[in-house]
Amino acid sequence: MMVALLLLPALVMFAASFLHTPRARRLLPISSVAILIPVGILFLHAKPWSIWGDYLVADDLNSYVLLVSSVVGIGVTLALLTLDRHVAITEVSTRRFYRFFALFWIGLILSILANHMGIYWIGLEMATLSTVYMIKTNRSAAAHKEAWNYMIVGAIAISLVLFGIILIYASAKPILGEEAMLFDALLAKAHAIPSPFLFEMGFALATVGMFVKMGFFPMNLWLANIERASFYPVAALFSGILESAVIVGFFRFSTVARAVNEAHLVGFVVAYTLLTIFIVAFLIYRAKDFMRLFSLSGIEHMALIALFWVGGGTFAALLHFGAHAFLKPALFLSTGVLESSGRYHIAGALKGYRGVRGKLFYFLVSLFLLAIVSLPPSPMFFSELYGFGAMVDAAESSHHLLAMIGATLLLLILLSVIFYRFVAIYQSMKYEGEAAERPVYAAEVAALAIFAVGLLALITPAAMHFLRSIA
Amino acid sequence: MVDLLIGIFLATLITALFTARLYRLLMWYSLNSLSLGLLALTIGRAQHDGAMIISGLITLLLKAGAIPWILKRLSQRFGLVRQITPNIRIQYAIMLVPAILVFTFYLAEPISHMVEGNANYVAISISSLFLALLLMMEHNNIAPKIVGFLSMENALFLLGTTATGGMPMLVELGIFFDLLMAIVVINLLMRREEMENSGEAGA
Repeated sequence: MMVALLLLPALVMFAASFLHTPRARRLLPISSVAILIPVGILFLHAKPWSIWGDYLVADDLNSYVLLVSSVVGIGVTLALLTLDRHVAITEVSTRRFYRFFALFWIGLILSILANHMGIYWIGLEMATLSTVYMIKTNRSAAAHKEAWNYMIVGAIAISLVLFGIILIYASAKPILGEEAMLFDALLAKAHAIPSPFLFEMGFALATVGMFVKMGFFPMNLWLANIERASFYPVAALFSGILESAVIVGFFRFSTVARAVNEAHLVGFVVAYTLLTIFIVAFLIYRAKDFMRLFSLSGIEHMALIALFWVGGGTFAALLHFGAHAFLKPALFLSTGVLESSGRYHIAGALKGYRGVRGKLFYFLVSLFLLAIVSLPPSPMFFSELYGFGAMVDAAESSHHLLAMIGATLLLLILLSVIFYRFVAIYQSMKYEGEAAERPVYAAEVAALAIFAVGLLALITPAAMHFLRSIA
Repeated sequence: MVDLLIGIFLATLITALFTARLYRLLMWYSLNSLSLGLLALTIGRAQHDGAMIISGLITLLLKAGAIPWILKRLSQRFGLVRQITPNIRIQYAIMLVPAILVFTFYLAEPISHMVEGNANYVAISISSLFLALLLMMEHNNIAPKIVGFLSMENALFLLGTTATGGMPMLVELGIFFDLLMAIVVINLLMRREEMENSGEAGA
């Protein structure tokens, strides 16, 4: 019953995408708002709650991620209402976009709520394949090339995840049988896994697959190129929802890996994320358009979330995750307006917005730009503060205090490079270039306002308390 | 019997790497899937595992029959290039393939005592994965890349069958469903490919 309730809005969206009347489009934001009802029920119920046997189990972590993703989905469907006013898209392509968006949603709901590694993978693969067509709704040659790129590289990444899952399953099957596919069963018997080496090999492969999917080393420019070539809502969906499902998988796998061998987990993830942020910081420094800038910044933030999570800052990771999930789609949707009709210039991009809607848009974009570089009172300011604090605390209790402090210092230097670049871009948007009047529509301002409210909600004492309880 | 089928599986994949014609590549993929399906049936029968027998049957129907046929029809319909010369020259590929095999057997050595079945099967699964990746990398055309992607899926199926004695039925069915969805997406992408490569039709 609960599964049907959760999937119903996506199924309504899928069915509505076949209707040829323009009124059907109005149904789409309503269907995306409707998912808040089952998600609300998840919060009211005692946890863990088996929604579908052992396959889909709701706990505080995935309920939180699903709530954040649902809010992002509402914002994106609102912004989609005015997509055809900013870019050239046919009615048929728009309907197909919604159709694949609905399939994408179904895949992600399965992935986020999965307690079963196989279901997690199936959902993620379904979401990956449905995104391919969403990229292709832009009928440019670049988008077509990137859709194939996404298909091929995405398939390789997802295959690595499946490869890892098979090895993890093989490592625990002698003691758990078919239950070796369940995250909770694996966690309960982590110490008894007869071949930890096989488990760790599987974990490393699955993690590399998930990291590649999020644009980590060595595929740092992969997502940036795809997001540049596709229409802006695709980038918003990638950063706000798809990456959320991937990082939930990382949270699940790494929790088991921590129980198997914490030192190996921390060493592997810290080295990988440091290398990624090191490269991304310089790529951000050289970024010359909004899409690539925000896309690369997304990689940096996902790396920070992974780092905080394994470094002991679970609360910081969850706070950072929520803030990023609201901020990045908001910035990508803003980019659609800032670059309306193919305008790519950073200089003066914030000039020319008049009237109440224009002024509100200007205010919200400024807010998001400053919040993404962690200026207080952005939730990212608090998450980084708590995250780095937790890393130093963890280092104190280990034998690697100097190495961890060195890594933290290096990270702070790299983050200042990114901070400097974002502030320079913000100043260029505000003070340089020519002012030309540009339209902003009510639906997209409403979408941005939803993200701003979500962001503010994260720093309320109740939200912080809830996140601490998950940690 | 299992050794023979795994040998055929590996041999068809290696041959596919050297193929320069699209329909022949599809035939090798079909044979590769056929050996995989028969392997699942053989192991399933030996272990009295109904789920694996069903997986084997679906593999035979879907991967050895339907998918190569659909891909051939799509390539005819959209006029895809049929001359698919690999970017890596044959003399280098001949050296690369054994190197990959030796490397994967070396890689699988530490886990030989950890898996339930024959460790060599796991090594062959991993090497098949690398060979499928090589197939994707050595071609510029879309069709061989798709076959590479499908071969990679076959390698994972082989790994699941040999390293774990078969994945749970639900997972197998989910993977088949995703595979069908991949074919739908490939069809949609090829419509555009047809427009882009209209000059290449009939090559």
